[in-house]
Amino acid sequence: MKLKEWVILFIFIGMGILAVNLIGYNTSIATSFPGVVVLLSIAFLAVCIWKVIPLKLPVIIYCSLLGLLLASPISPISGFITESAEQIDFKAPLTMVGALAGISIGASIHQLKKLGWRMIIIALAVMASTFIGSVIIAQIVLSITGAI
Amino acid sequence: MEGYKSIFDRIRNEYKLYIVAFSILIIAEIIGEFEFAVGPGMLILFPIFYGIILGVILGPDLIGLLKEKDVNAAKPLVLVAIAPFIVNIGITAAGNIPELVSLGPALILGELGNVFTVIIALPIALLLGIKREAIGAAHSINREVNLALITNLYGPESAETRGTLSVYIMGGLFGTIFFGFLATLVASTELFHPYALGIASGVGAGIMMAAATTSLGHVYPAYADDILVLGAAGDMLTGMTGLYVALFIALPLANKIYSVLEPKLKINEKSKSKVGTERRYDDYEA
Repeated sequence: MKLKEWVILFIFIGMGILAVNLIGYNTSIATSFPGVVVLLSIAFLAVCIWKVIPLKLPVIIYCSLLGLLLASPISPISGFITESAEQIDFKAPLTMVGALAGISIGASIHQLKKLGWRMIIIALAVMASTFIGSVIIAQIVLSITGAI
Repeated sequence: MEGYKSIFDRIRNEYKLYIVAFSILIIAEIIGEFEFAVGPGMLILFPIFYGIILGVILGPDLIGLLKEKDVNAAKPLVLVAIAPFIVNIGITAAGNIPELVSLGPALILGELGNVFTVIIALPIALLLGIKREAIGAAHSINREVNLALITNLYGPESAETRGTLSVYIMGGLFGTIFFGFLATLVASTELFHPYALGIASGVGAGIMMAAATTSLGHVYPAYADDILVLGAAGDMLTGMTGLYVALFIALPLANKIYSVLEPKLKINEKSKSKVGTERRYDDYEA
């Protein structure tokens, strides 16, 4: 996607976040606005960096690192960034993610019918065992390192 | 989607998608949050779940308001929509840097939990009589990266790729809701610290992590920020290391387990059928 397209799409996503913050969390559009601008500006900057750097990492890694960097104590604007972002409930961007994710899998229902019950059981076993395996290892390492 | 001549071209082609997505968002937010006790766990319904369900219902396989074209247009937009969420987590993480560093070893090693999939889910698959499909299905949690890896290694028409694709589809359809519920179910055992649960929330896709950490945040409000930051960090690590863990650890292990277990199960099948014939023979003699 071209940068211009990212801008238009981010504006659309931003309108969604404002709407969620208003309906779901009773935060006025005026209060949410700086936060939405901050989040989307950082995301856009991350996309620009991602396009320039030839290293093929997922774009969300740049989003996360840039957010971290700009809000960390070394950043001169960390106070503004943190305060603005605090007005946006962390779940607020997720409703649009859900709507788009739902739409994007809307043509997979017929594939589900082909899978058969055994594959469905295995898929659930795969998801559950990955989560449980990870939580067990994390718990053990946290105990050994004395973090908990 | 790539290949639009101009932004206006994109908007002309996709405006219906934007209107529908925005309407779903409004409806989902008006419905709001609900909590149900399901067994020992808690199913916490968030607008993100209704968003997914409404999106699927309106799609070409059910109501058909949105066509195949809209479905394909929506795929790259998921990434655009999740970007501000990830930025926000990065900002939250900035206030938790010392914690992130102290929990680093657990965070990194927690990634190896992916190997449990091979140890637990692969034997289950073999017991259910699945053959080479089991390798693809049970080598990892099968997100985009794994799908690409298996397709690349075994070819798009292979049994292994069919297995991977099955889990990939199921994960896309139910992974988000299942992960949210699973996280509260595992939390209800009270065996694990919220930090460990947070780390484990990051094993799947970003959207699964969002559902799991959001649900856990409800269960442990005092730890909500930490859980979110750890889940996101876990998700990032999975994104960076998942491919290598799958290629160098999980797949060789899966193939090893397969070569050891599969013949044994076959012998069992044979001996069962032998017993069967002998009995029939005995019956005949008698």
